Amino acid sequence: MSIALFILRRVGRGLLTILFAVTVTFLLLRLLPGDPALAVASPNMTDEARAALLTQYGLDQPLFVQYFLYLGELLRGNLGRSFTQSIPVIDVLMQRLPWTILLTVTSLVLTVVIGIPLGVLAASHKNRFLDRLVQVFGVTGQSLFVPSVGIVLLFVFGLNLRWFPIGGAYDDAVYGMEWYGSVLSHLVLPVISLTLIQLGSYVLTMRATLIEALGEDYITLAKAKGVPPRTVLWKHAVRNAMLPAITLIGLQLGFVVGGAVLTETVFAYPGIGRGIYEAVTQLDFAVLQGAFLLLAVTVVVANMLTDIAYGLLDPRVRTS
Amino acid sequence: MNRHSRIAAIGGAAALAALVLSACAPQAPETSSTSSPDAGDDTLTIATTTDVVNYNPLVGNSRSDYWVTNLMYPHLLSIGPDGSKEAELAVDWGYVDDTTGFYEIRDDMTWSDGEPLTAEDVAYTMNAVKKDAPAGTYYGQMANFESAEAVSDTRVEITLTQPDSSIVDEIGFWGNVVPQHVFEPAGSVAEFANDGSEDGWVSAGPFELTKVQVGQSYTLDRVEDYPLVESGTPIPASIVYRVFPDVNTEILALQSGEVDAIANSLPPSQVEQLKSAEGIEVVEVTGLGYAHMTYNMQNPDLAKLEVRQALAHAADYEAIRNVVLQGQAVSTGSSPLMPVLSKYYDDSITEYEYDPELSRELMEEAGYTASADGMFPVSFRLIYSLQDPVTSQWAQLVKDGAAEAGIPIELQGMERNTYLARTNEGDYDIYAGNFAIMDDPATNFSLSYLPGGAINYTYVDDPALNDLIAQASATFDEDEKIEIMREAAKIVHDQVYDNVMYTQNLYVAHSSDWDGFISKPSELLSIVNPVSLASAHKVSE
Repeated sequence: MSIALFILRRVGRGLLTILFAVTVTFLLLRLLPGDPALAVASPNMTDEARAALLTQYGLDQPLFVQYFLYLGELLRGNLGRSFTQSIPVIDVLMQRLPWTILLTVTSLVLTVVIGIPLGVLAASHKNRFLDRLVQVFGVTGQSLFVPSVGIVLLFVFGLNLRWFPIGGAYDDAVYGMEWYGSVLSHLVLPVISLTLIQLGSYVLTMRATLIEALGEDYITLAKAKGVPPRTVLWKHAVRNAMLPAITLIGLQLGFVVGGAVLTETVFAYPGIGRGIYEAVTQLDFAVLQGAFLLLAVTVVVANMLTDIAYGLLDPRVRTS
Repeated sequence: MNRHSRIAAIGGAAALAALVLSACAPQAPETSSTSSPDAGDDTLTIATTTDVVNYNPLVGNSRSDYWVTNLMYPHLLSIGPDGSKEAELAVDWGYVDDTTGFYEIRDDMTWSDGEPLTAEDVAYTMNAVKKDAPAGTYYGQMANFESAEAVSDTRVEITLTQPDSSIVDEIGFWGNVVPQHVFEPAGSVAEFANDGSEDGWVSAGPFELTKVQVGQSYTLDRVEDYPLVESGTPIPASIVYRVFPDVNTEILALQSGEVDAIANSLPPSQVEQLKSAEGIEVVEVTGLGYAHMTYNMQNPDLAKLEVRQALAHAADYEAIRNVVLQGQAVSTGSSPLMPVLSKYYDDSITEYEYDPELSRELMEEAGYTASADGMFPVSFRLIYSLQDPVTSQWAQLVKDGAAEAGIPIELQGMERNTYLARTNEGDYDIYAGNFAIMDDPATNFSLSYLPGGAINYTYVDDPALNDLIAQASATFDEDEKIEIMREAAKIVHDQVYDNVMYTQNLYVAHSSDWDGFISKPSELLSIVNPVSLASAHKVSE
């Protein structure tokens, strides 16, 4: 298969996945109990006023009409208007997106930077104390629940030690370079929470693949040739064991995004996740559809790029 | 490149990065001097649990919407501790005749863009709300409103479709006034976002909204001229509303000094602890609402008076108030006329006594026979919102009490939106919930007990009660109206058309570094009402 055809197929598959995600999101939201007019209206609202509100939201139309109207607008690049805020959904998302990117990217980078060396450390000390310690750390990290970690961190480092602020993304009354310091100090606890829950997967994957690589013939050959152990480990074994761990980044992205929703909620971090939480409570379908589309596109594109990179690096993938 | 050149290049790059970053960061606003000697330079930071969803006060319905827009758009009337209405923008109000009401407003208020705030703005707001039917509480008060007219710069007259002795008070209290010259060109007030995206906001409160960080904070800066406070100028330089995920995190932030006050009322379990915490003041706020259960009379079993009475006598209200609310609630005598509405309260109506044996006798009178296990052959679904922790706790006590009387109750706690949908569809046997403000008995009785009333969760249609409510609405003499309402409340109590359990005393907390708050009834106003925040000041060292 030519590389062009391979890329075309992967892009086509990605677009189909996005269409599927859009359709499922659209339908699931409409299966939710309750209706958006009741969620935002005051208790003394009349039935007529409620009906007018549903018409204003476009929810008085049959389901398939709503669906095709939505798809049509989507193709024109219009995500619709927020039911509750009366502003374009794209504006709602763009107000929050930078904070989510900052949180998830920082956390992802930290996870890789810490997780891979820890995996190497464990594999190179297989079945010794350090290995066991790292394994316990990895499994514990995988079992943690973001809100629990978040609340403990807030209580210890926010309230008792007062090292970091309780919530938000920065202080309001700081400007210039000081503002960056404030952003950083607000980022610490949410990033620690999000990193802790992801780290285990990277550590354990890296450890397992490196142990396997260290048993390969080419490693034995390198050792027999008298290559120094450090070079054998880092230049020969780790390089080959890295591929599955890097693949994990694409696969874990959905998980990171899910974790970000909870992290942002616990730390009142003003990202998309917190926005999703609020839109769910207000049944703001338009914002929810836009947010889920954005997240689906992010995950699909990341996976598509991983696939394509694999295909470019390893011709066997293209023929499979 | 030699070593010195490399160091110079790195240093240059770092300096350039610092310059670029510095240029991208928010810059300090220009400070303006103030003419009033009382005005300070302090920022009062207040915690809230939700973002502002809508800056249009005619649409907004969440707590944060109300708190923030309340500092921007004045109401005609405010409220006193007994639910009676007090002057705010209006200095005089009442009726010209049975179908014409009036408001005389202050002549010294201006919008933040310099335009005078006149009766034209008031009349425009009322007519636009009636025409466009926005989702907020305001429109719900306008059933008998026909139109408003500014008869002078300071006088508005409203025409009613039928006599309504409550509407002047209710519209005046619930409705904000918005600037006609900003809202009218925007089209329907039901769809106008008023998000300040063009040139910011035009407002007429003690503070104007100047900075919004969605999901994080809302900053309002003092205006120089606010005639509703004695000094004429608000004292804090700014008010910042900070968003936190829940009230527990808000308490952590207050304790750590990140915020100066919490706008949300405290959970009963936290009140005593915070009262004894150093550096924190807890303020009691009069509650103007009530918690209640209603029995859906569309259910044939609940249509029988004896069954409703049996259920009413099967709950231990004293235990609920003492255990769940930790004594921070008062009995209303099982009447919708709460003690806080002192003019209307009738102490001859007494609370349903907790008496499971009496409940059993009433069930037998209704024609039911208990089986061998002591349970009657009925079953009732009690719905409540899981987002309401207090109701979630007492619902269990209600179930236990009813089981004692042989009446099985199935608890159905559910997520808020499902709860609202089930309530709207009448898909429950017993409804448990609460109202934040029930300030005007005639209006509330109309909504709660007239057929088709928006909150008639009992589905009651009692001609005698309907007649009394209609009479009260058309009675302009206060003493006469009170007598009619008491008679109506007695019917509600005796027929168990509603089971009002308590009025909760609310508590809010602020740092003891701040003082001067003026507390008003209800969580909506409490210490965060406009006059209170404009009067708050830092305690001198």
